[in-house]
Amino acid sequence: MSSRRRVVVTGMGLVSTLGFSPRSVHENLVRGLDGFGPIQLFDTEQLSVRTAGEIAFEAEEHLGTGRNLRPLDRTARLVIAAAARTLDSSGLAEVEIGSQLVGLVLGSMFGSVHSIAAFDRRALIAGPSYAKPLQFANSVINAAAGQTAIWHGLKGINSTIAGGSLAGLSALGYATDLVRDGRIDTVLAGGGEELCNESFFGFLKAGRLAGSRNGAPARSVPFDADRNGFALAEGAALCSLEAEETARGRGAEVLAEILGHGNAFDASRGREAASAAAAIARGGAAALADAGLNAEEIDLLSLSGNGSPEGDRHEALGLAEIFGERLAEIPCLVVKAGLGESLGASGGFQTVMLIEAARRGSIPGIPGLKRLGVQIPLKTLSTGPRHLSPWGDRPRLGLIHALGLDGGTSSLVVAIHPPSNSGSLAGEQAS
Amino acid sequence: MNVESIRSEIKEIIGRVASIDPGTITDNASFVDDLDLDSLSLLEIGVDVDYAFKLGVPEERLQELRTVQDSVELVLEKFKNRTENLALAGEGS
Amino acid sequence: MSRPRIAVTGIGLVTPLGLGRKTVWKRLLEGHCGIAPVRSYDTSRFNVHLGAEVEDFNPETYFENTDPNAVGQASQFAVGAARMALTDASIASGDIDPGRVAVVMGTTSGEPREVERFNDHFVSGEHEKIDENFIGLYPCHVIAGIISEEFGFGGPNVMIPVACAAGNYAMAHGFDLLRAGRADVVLAGGADSFSRITYTGFARLGAVAPELCQPFDKNRRGMVPGEGAAVLVLETVQRARERGAPIYAEIGGYGLSCDAHHMTAADPDGAARAMAMALVMARVLPTAVSYISAHGTGTPTNDRQETKAVKRVFGERIARRVPISSIKSMIGHTMGAASAIEAAVCSLAVASQKVPPTIHLETADPECDLDYVANEAREIPVEVAMNNAYAFGGNNASVIFQKCQIQ
Repeated sequence: MSSRRRVVVTGMGLVSTLGFSPRSVHENLVRGLDGFGPIQLFDTEQLSVRTAGEIAFEAEEHLGTGRNLRPLDRTARLVIAAAARTLDSSGLAEVEIGSQLVGLVLGSMFGSVHSIAAFDRRALIAGPSYAKPLQFANSVINAAAGQTAIWHGLKGINSTIAGGSLAGLSALGYATDLVRDGRIDTVLAGGGEELCNESFFGFLKAGRLAGSRNGAPARSVPFDADRNGFALAEGAALCSLEAEETARGRGAEVLAEILGHGNAFDASRGREAASAAAAIARGGAAALADAGLNAEEIDLLSLSGNGSPEGDRHEALGLAEIFGERLAEIPCLVVKAGLGESLGASGGFQTVMLIEAARRGSIPGIPGLKRLGVQIPLKTLSTGPRHLSPWGDRPRLGLIHALGLDGGTSSLVVAIHPPSNSGSLAGEQAS
Repeated sequence: MNVESIRSEIKEIIGRVASIDPGTITDNASFVDDLDLDSLSLLEIGVDVDYAFKLGVPEERLQELRTVQDSVELVLEKFKNRTENLALAGEGS
Repeated sequence: MSRPRIAVTGIGLVTPLGLGRKTVWKRLLEGHCGIAPVRSYDTSRFNVHLGAEVEDFNPETYFENTDPNAVGQASQFAVGAARMALTDASIASGDIDPGRVAVVMGTTSGEPREVERFNDHFVSGEHEKIDENFIGLYPCHVIAGIISEEFGFGGPNVMIPVACAAGNYAMAHGFDLLRAGRADVVLAGGADSFSRITYTGFARLGAVAPELCQPFDKNRRGMVPGEGAAVLVLETVQRARERGAPIYAEIGGYGLSCDAHHMTAADPDGAARAMAMALVMARVLPTAVSYISAHGTGTPTNDRQETKAVKRVFGERIARRVPISSIKSMIGHTMGAASAIEAAVCSLAVASQKVPPTIHLETADPECDLDYVANEAREIPVEVAMNNAYAFGGNNASVIFQKCQIQ
């Protein structure tokens, strides 16, 4: 018999503009804070948009001073820091990592387009013989995953998944299948992305940043009627996934179980609303079928909405195809309201923060939300946090949806377990 | 440029690549044994030294650098050749 | 319940040795060399000049529904390879549910030329000239997206940028998608375009061969950067049988591992673990392996370490009996496309019972003392072929292709 193994989340770690633990990010989001501010990383004097979600990140504070940080670019540093926190949170840091063959599946839109571009610029200006070897090693898109594996000694399957703003969620789905099928027992999965002038400039030129079109003031409020683009951001967020028996064998706390996932593609690549919505519905249905659930059973949603005029509408239309009128009643977490569009990292944030918010019993709101946009029936959304009813006798079932920037869609279904100190028997009641 | 200032600049470069305080690097430090640097970092130091002093060193020479002292000597040798070449060029004209 | 078996039923190739399965396979078996001085840009500031570029590729031939001029070169190659693969598999658009077709592609650099164009303007201070669509052209996931757009496919669309092992990662993921029933048909492959970034980098590392690409030769001096694309059509053996499609080979299993040791220097331990995992998954004994398509870049270190890794898995005695060859001697290192092209080679080796040679192999190296199919192709029984690929980041991937036995 080759029945699929169950896959559980035993740890979570992140680095973000709103804190360095799921708990602190949750507190800050509940308070209605956001992580946007003036950009320090590069010169924005000539640009029409000058704010983003940049992390005040001193690598030495997170990675220590004992090892050479020079070969690591910013993306790698963010991911290494998030991985360290994930390994701590799951208790895997205390296990002999080498012998466990822990894997890593990292979602990232660009890897580090900054390292790639900086390598090329140096060669252009100084001549090819003065190109920087260390930068070249980081010019591959999987550099952050490779550097993180080296830093933490992760010798298991190591992969990088691209796909714009769905990369992180897609990576979690990919990793789930690896564990289910017995390819690996323990794997860190999620996403990481740095803020840099190349991506910022690109999105600005393309008119996708809030405030980058027609000189309108920036308004990156997801699902709001007057939204006009997203706030670009950075960060990294990972979960440790384990085969259930592996986790139980070492007595790890189970935070959630991943029940299923599904990806689909809109062949109009975001140009036609009907095609976009159909793809979201197809991917969501695949995820629910994979989880063995009906749409009616889903208690919570974690959405991709980032303030993009088209994307947010497409997401709502697609989810309406899955959930029908009940969509207006399901509590929704929209992390990008406070954390911005962190591209490859965002699926990691959506997942980690849904698990955290559900366990803490309150879903942060969308500060600044005045009026829902047309064709957006997400009536549970409001500016303030929403408190969840007390835990029943079963885990809360959540669907996380991530929309790519040009056609991709990914859904992941999780069963979130109550905290072990809440009186329930954590993890023992997952059906 | 005297030997001391060459050595000091080379230590600055190594400090940047190895992310250590240049003041802690001894004159005879070995890149691999003392500073624990890998092949890519060694090449990076070679490229940076070459660039800083505008040496135009052939590939093979860069790969031979093993210690701080090797790098200082490479720079001195190149400077010496350059001075001699300039002198020769001067005589020829 | 037994898991579905996965077949290769279509092959599309865009390589420095030509286009299409028939042409490329013929030239590989004849030992042609597609390496020449770089044409696409000026290498006068470099001390090396060889490249492996694709010639005579006209994207208009392969694009029917989208505009080839609106996408980067790797995407053009990818769509070309995808169209050839679908034709080769005799799949027409009416034959399949487009929502059940997945696309999984690998790459090293995506569309690096778009970053180069960005930089040309950035460095010269002409910010206003930077393409408004940089963000729509550059990110590597557009390669898989453009394939799905061109053919109207709505199934999972996955881009796996795991550098020079990416093609094998795509095969592995395509295999898993089909086994899990997430798609009916998967287009799996890899694509990369020749780029000054890649060329500059390998030249700076001293890794580019000055005269010849000579994997496993004692006098080998490096690899040759190249470009291209390969797409394989994967489907279940059952589906292929039902529609009467010829099967080139069956994917038996795969192994993935990470050295966690060094970004650019390979460690034989990781490569050996990937090979061993692939053998275990495919339930194949080392003695049953008939052919290994080597990563075989032609750099002194890679070929030595790969030889060590093969010996570690197979044991000295068996390792010496398994023919191993590197087609990179003929088509250079096509980066993210490399292991996808080599996956096609393994499938064709199984289908035709022939293995391509390693050309320019003149002088034996005591540290590379296996049978590298020197200079002449061979006609041998090929039951099981193993495809090895290694990447920056310490990523290792081995995939097993085997003869599809009649049920």
